[in-house]
Amino acid sequence: MAMAALRREGRRFAPLISPRPITAVRSSPLYPTLEDEGPLGLRHISTQVVRNRMKSVKNIQKITKAMKMVAASKLRAIQTKTENSRGLWQPFTALLGDLPSADVKKNVVVTISSDKGLCGGINSTSVKISKGLHKLNSATGPEKETKYVILGEKAKAQLVRDSKKDIELIITELQKNPLNYTQVSVLADEILKNVEYDALRIVFNKFQSVVSFVPTVSTVLSPEIVEREAESGGKLGDLDSYEVEGGETKGEILQNLAEFQFSCTMFNAVLENACSEQGARMSAMDSSSRNAGDMLDRLTLTYNRTRQASITTELIEIISGASALEG
Amino acid sequence: MTLNLCILTPNRIVLDSEVKEIILSTNSGQIGVLPNHAPIATAIDTGILRIRLNDQWLTIALMGGFARMDNNEITILVNDAEKGSDIDPQEVQQALEIAEANLRKAEGKIQIIEANLALRQARTRVEAINAIS
Repeated sequence: MAMAALRREGRRFAPLISPRPITAVRSSPLYPTLEDEGPLGLRHISTQVVRNRMKSVKNIQKITKAMKMVAASKLRAIQTKTENSRGLWQPFTALLGDLPSADVKKNVVVTISSDKGLCGGINSTSVKISKGLHKLNSATGPEKETKYVILGEKAKAQLVRDSKKDIELIITELQKNPLNYTQVSVLADEILKNVEYDALRIVFNKFQSVVSFVPTVSTVLSPEIVEREAESGGKLGDLDSYEVEGGETKGEILQNLAEFQFSCTMFNAVLENACSEQGARMSAMDSSSRNAGDMLDRLTLTYNRTRQASITTELIEIISGASALEG
Repeated sequence: MTLNLCILTPNRIVLDSEVKEIILSTNSGQIGVLPNHAPIATAIDTGILRIRLNDQWLTIALMGGFARMDNNEITILVNDAEKGSDIDPQEVQQALEIAEANLRKAEGKIQIIEANLALRQARTRVEAINAIS
């Protein structure tokens, strides 16, 4: 009984523990409230609480470190494929030109995003650019319309909210099987069949390096527009100088060419986006585990202070108890 | 005068070298291309491409795509390409037989079209081997 009273007394003299890093603990309903208010309004947090918090932060650090390594290995695998596919769309651009400024009535924006989260800001940038393109096109004239084709869950979640009526096609779970050209060409075929378009703009994140992902837009024009631009001269004027063989009409060849160009650029875009996703996830998980490490350091300091405080109070109790008995 | 030939598929670069002459088969027949040819853009059917360098002919099996020639630079983009020397004769014979069997028991339009496509591809590869030997 006496000891309990002295313990309460002792707490009054306990060093003031700075509760700032752990104020969240008090308000969080998950943690048992093992602290109490002394008579002078001091907060005294028990070591148990701090220890629990340290355990969970350490687990978070382990998990994010593992996720980073997984993302790094996936990135390595897909990076070689991406680099090999980069040479594919360049001849098309050399022949047909990349004309983002072509004046067209029906625009289709193909937004490529990831299915899983925790990959930094790449999906938000893609969606922002898609919305920007939409606004740009509708601002230049009333008869212009823009439709969306969405690949990936994350863009779907963001675009369904405000542009539901403009969405033509949604495709998810792209990366269930490893990406290959046949799968993407089937996809491209679906899109071409179901959507009317004058120009297709593919929005994706180009993988420049492990830390830099540049949002890019690739434009594929429909064959009629290509004809129109070729006749008016300019960049596509050279197209007319080519003798076109291998089919009945030039139009038929151009149609096939446009489809092939679309599937090749789609393939490259999907691969680049996958690379960017893994790279972004790597850096997000890396900064997350570093933050967890910092938090763990701060918690360790707090834990030590708490521990020393409780030891000090015990000593004070014992000593004051002993001195009370003596004198 | 040589031509710079570059054969690209979605997965890799198959060939990138200088050649003297090529013969490729398009939808409307075979065309031969010599240096200083006029610029052309053609569609390529599933067939074999013959290349001559240093008086030696090489064959490559192509599975459909496009070719473009400009200023002695030829770029060929195909869905798939295999060098004749890389094809295994046994395996290709088997593939041909399987393709033929599939065609015989194919039902429904889609299956027939797919079986036909597979058969043509197998035949092309067989031709590629035979043409060298």
